[in-house]
Amino acid sequence: MIIKTVMLTVQSRREQELINITPEVERIVAETGVKEGLVNVLTMHTSSGVLVTEGLPCLEEDVVNHLSRLCPSEGNYLHRRYLDIDGRIGFNADAHLKSVLGGISCFFPISAGKLVKGGRQTIYFAEYDGPLSREVAVQVLGE
Amino acid sequence: MIDFHTHPLLVQEVVGGDEAMIHATRDVFMIRNRLQPLDTFLLELDVCGVQRAVVMPVDATTAKGTKIWSNEQIARLCSMSDRFIGFASVDPHNPRAAEQLEHDVKTLGLRGLKLSPSLQEFRANDRAKAYPIYEAATALGIPVLVHCGMTWAPRSKSASPMDMEDVAFDFPKLNLVIAHFGWPWVHETAMLLLKYENLFADLSCLYFDAPWEFMRGIFGGRLPLTLIERSLRTKIVFGSDYPRVEIKNMVRAVKELGLSDGALEMIFNKNARYLLGEAEASYK
Repeated sequence: MIIKTVMLTVQSRREQELINITPEVERIVAETGVKEGLVNVLTMHTSSGVLVTEGLPCLEEDVVNHLSRLCPSEGNYLHRRYLDIDGRIGFNADAHLKSVLGGISCFFPISAGKLVKGGRQTIYFAEYDGPLSREVAVQVLGE
Repeated sequence: MIDFHTHPLLVQEVVGGDEAMIHATRDVFMIRNRLQPLDTFLLELDVCGVQRAVVMPVDATTAKGTKIWSNEQIARLCSMSDRFIGFASVDPHNPRAAEQLEHDVKTLGLRGLKLSPSLQEFRANDRAKAYPIYEAATALGIPVLVHCGMTWAPRSKSASPMDMEDVAFDFPKLNLVIAHFGWPWVHETAMLLLKYENLFADLSCLYFDAPWEFMRGIFGGRLPLTLIERSLRTKIVFGSDYPRVEIKNMVRAVKELGLSDGALEMIFNKNARYLLGEAEASYK
């Protein structure tokens, strides 16, 4: 049984964007040598997400725009107060809510050393409060 | 556009694994977010159309036993990008502070001075400790930005903008910036800006609510927006207090106030360039 955890660094460049991390996840899986098993992908940040959808630029925009309609930055959020843990005001409640709605992780089976996924399925890191340097945990389990 | 008030405390390339710097940031300055690569700072400027940022240290050696970045570290950061405008800080309790300021401005290329009376535990109008520093700054022709108003450090009284009246009066050739618009003493700050030609204020105030809510509560709330548009637009510079607040959010908050394009140009650009010696005053 192999269990390997890799921290993937992702630099977002915009306030909100979907970043395709499928090639990085596939590379990490290949480097573990695991032939049969599964891979878990988890963002380490509560104002970001990990989600799976078809890899098209139009859909990338649609996802961000729809989450922004559901969680507008102008909303009336209790989170807008001084947070001692950060030493600053929290005013990114909309980003946290998008993370809740969009999800923070995904997993795929591994077979014959490759991800078992639909041809159009793309793994995205979802930035809701960028630009920031982010970390995504990728854990591969199997043999 | 210029952000006249940032603290580059989270830049990984300068902080590295320096435990003293991490302590100063987390336990003295009380910023507890994780370190970020320099690229994040530059991208933060990019997403809201800000070209340059003033980056500031605070020398709290006597009061807190630490510098929240040294002048050399600020200069090192400035060497990494021409988008940074470095300010110096000196410890007012150090009898050689004025000499050090002159040395660091001349040798490190720093272009202004930052002081924080509450954090550095002195009064801005202290004739023995502060006035020699102002004399040096006047001779150097650099602006002095002084933290005023709300502070997370104890003894808020020492951060009253009213202390700045003595300084403005006694040093008429020294340009002074009241940081954070002196909140909650915003009426006092406005009064001083109206009264003294050499007094300015930055907009980096946010202590509750969203930036746009907080800004509207002051400008167009406690203070009429016409006061800014008609009388103070030449006396205000944009500042974010990054990383305590994201620059993008403060830019949006100021842009949404309803000021004219002309006033916004002065606040985001021209007044800062005047203070930095790059442009004439908007008008007098």
